[in-house]
Amino acid sequence: MDNFKRKFVEEAHDLLNELEVVLLKIESDSENKETIEHIFRIMHTLKGNSAMFGFNLIDQYTHQLETIYDLIRNGKMIITSDLMDLTLASVDHIRNLLDEDAGSKIEITTTHSILLKKISQIIEGKNLPAAGIKLDSSPEVEELKTYYVHFKPNPEILSNGTNPLYLVEDFKALGEYLPLPCMELLPALDELDPEKCFTSWEIILVTSEDIDKINEIFIFAEDSCTLDIQELGAGNLLADQSFCSRLKESVSLNKTIGIQKIQEIIVSRDSTKEKGDTLKPQNINDVSNKLKNISSIRVSSEKLDELINLVSELVTTQAGLSLIAEKINEKELLAVAEDIEKLSRRLRDNTFGIRLIPVENMITRFQRLVRELSHELKKDIAFIAEGTDIEMDKTMIEGLIDPIMHIIRNSIDHGIEEAGVRKKLGKEKQGKIIFKAYYSGSNVFIKISDDGAGIDVNLIRQHAIKKGLIQQDAALNGKEILDLIFLPGFTTSENITKISGRGVGMDVVKRKISDLRGEVSVETKINSGTTITIKLPLTLSIIDGLLVEIDKAFFVIPLSSVNKCFEFKHETLVNAVNNLIFINDGHIPFIYLRKEFEITSPVPEIEQIVVIEYGDSKIGLTVDKVIGEYQAVLKSLGNTFRKQDIISGATILGDGTVALVVDPNKIISQFTYKNLTNINN
Amino acid sequence: MIMEKESGFQTYLSFQLNTEVFAINVAMVLNILEMKHITRVPKAPDYIKGVINLRGTVLPVLDMRIRFGLPEMVNTVDTSIIVLSLDFNGEEFRIGILVDAVKEVLELKSAEITPSPTIGSKYNSDFIEGMWRQNDSFIMILDILKVLTSDENIDFCDMVEE
Repeated sequence: MDNFKRKFVEEAHDLLNELEVVLLKIESDSENKETIEHIFRIMHTLKGNSAMFGFNLIDQYTHQLETIYDLIRNGKMIITSDLMDLTLASVDHIRNLLDEDAGSKIEITTTHSILLKKISQIIEGKNLPAAGIKLDSSPEVEELKTYYVHFKPNPEILSNGTNPLYLVEDFKALGEYLPLPCMELLPALDELDPEKCFTSWEIILVTSEDIDKINEIFIFAEDSCTLDIQELGAGNLLADQSFCSRLKESVSLNKTIGIQKIQEIIVSRDSTKEKGDTLKPQNINDVSNKLKNISSIRVSSEKLDELINLVSELVTTQAGLSLIAEKINEKELLAVAEDIEKLSRRLRDNTFGIRLIPVENMITRFQRLVRELSHELKKDIAFIAEGTDIEMDKTMIEGLIDPIMHIIRNSIDHGIEEAGVRKKLGKEKQGKIIFKAYYSGSNVFIKISDDGAGIDVNLIRQHAIKKGLIQQDAALNGKEILDLIFLPGFTTSENITKISGRGVGMDVVKRKISDLRGEVSVETKINSGTTITIKLPLTLSIIDGLLVEIDKAFFVIPLSSVNKCFEFKHETLVNAVNNLIFINDGHIPFIYLRKEFEITSPVPEIEQIVVIEYGDSKIGLTVDKVIGEYQAVLKSLGNTFRKQDIISGATILGDGTVALVVDPNKIISQFTYKNLTNINN
Repeated sequence: MIMEKESGFQTYLSFQLNTEVFAINVAMVLNILEMKHITRVPKAPDYIKGVINLRGTVLPVLDMRIRFGLPEMVNTVDTSIIVLSLDFNGEEFRIGILVDAVKEVLELKSAEITPSPTIGSKYNSDFIEGMWRQNDSFIMILDILKVLTSDENIDFCDMVEE
């Protein structure tokens, strides 16, 4: 696919996303004219672009859709729920069509013809609204007015896929018109760029419509032309012989006549007719040089990644500089180093900020999910999103979509009861799913709550026992039991539905969220609902860590999981019974990392233990030396070390060496026996 | 590059491992670094030496001697890291290889490269793209992608999917 096509596809996806958002909006507010206009506009752009890039199926399809929304726009049709279903299905379908070889896939072509058929049924009037809803058309008594329109396309108009001749022709629909082309800008043949437009038009239009209708013709060309529309006066000037003949005298291909000249003609005609009231043109609308503010720039994510890499490098280099400056201890150098440190920190924060996008971006998907699933399950559910302006890293948002979709699916399927049950329980008929995002400290929280049935803790316990996940007599508190739902293969649903309940579920949700270095927790109350909270770090690329040393190699342990550090003599550790160490009147199991990492070099006399919070228990990791806190810019290790999942990444220290960032949870799960946590309990 | 192909010449970079000389197509070579501190990655296969800092990015380094089953040698002043940029199904993949010494850049005529013998070869013949005779000795031209992809620890297929 060439570059332009790729751009188009990218843009089309954006347009479709936008369309989806607007469609969902209009469902709750179907009278909003502006929104309908917006839908129409998106469809039109999509149609034009797809035709230009040879996506004929999309062109053909959107053309039909556009027709429907044109009817709606003109008040000749109303939006029904069926139509919404169809349009949303169409959005999905067009997405599929964007795949270049879509035309050769049978499923797609079948859907294509089915949907087209449905659309034409709707257009043929099977869904015409009741007569009363039809908007009042303009009064029958037509008052004709004459307008002067100077339409001057920009030379580049053709490259947008707009054909100015069609625009001129569109006047036909408004009434009687007289187009006067002018080519004064036309260069000599050898200088002529055939891809540019040099012709402008002056159009005298007689119509009963108002000026807005004329503007509407140019609605999609506004930015690529200069437009001047003036009212010449009431009545049909084109029917006036003397006006026409005088006008013809002034017509010349090489020169615009200009509004002034035309007014003169009118005046002279008027004076010959001895009519006193001169028609003064009012400048009604001047859309010339209308520039839209550029509020955002499209940048490829590779460019951003490159920028972030460079900034990270700068931060690392700066750390090196600070190190040297301290060593040399020159006052002036120290000052400069300090300034650079401040600057690079700000630069870093700003750069990382670029990657942040509002949570808003994923909400549409959830809205659609709720809409479609609740229809399917015949439940009445409202989806409420709060805090959608909270910004998060783009990759993080992308990684969150699937798990959250799953959570919402669970809420709809298992959580929210059918209307009858809800009524019996004295709840509102309509169920609610609330999505809420907010900052707290250096974390982002996302809460998804429903007001459904809640989770029966006893049921979970019984299931877990039945499946052999826990012992019959295991002493677990409510929270611990709830955490069982995150175990692989756990489901309480008796009948497996299409939507959820196949046992691949919450464990995947948990895994995906911990991949993003986040945590999930559940709260629930029978008959009043369930809340699932996801806690995430602000960015994926910087972590606060504890820098430690093992055998001259540096490791970073994420500070969020570090509890405390202690010093021990090597022999104490060697002689420890059952790998348990006595710290602060409690026994804590520890993992001797030197042994696990297969390091055989001489051991320091005094070693340190970093106590890690692992779930509800604490586990120590031995290191040679704790160096201190360190802000690590996370770098990927790449796929070479895919199997070494105890290492989650790397970071570059001030002196240029690489330190590995460890994942303490993975270390603990990999190097401990399963019963170790039991010993602790 | 195209010019060279037309004239039948290809450019190779030769390097030494133990006592043998190997060569790789220069198009894959990004740069050559002096031996520097390599951070060992725990629990990684033995021939994956670890990672280095390549201008702000983390680059894995393979020890070619261990990869080819040659005895491990002590690092010398000649020990170098050749940074390769490999194209795998359209994705760039960077890796460093540790060699005993970087020798020279050779312009070889494609016609002079003979296929490697399949029998009696010390190395897995899949890894050798061809042989080139230089005076009395042979230079083995490596198919470096095969060397890397034949290893289940570096799963290229998965990488592309992810």
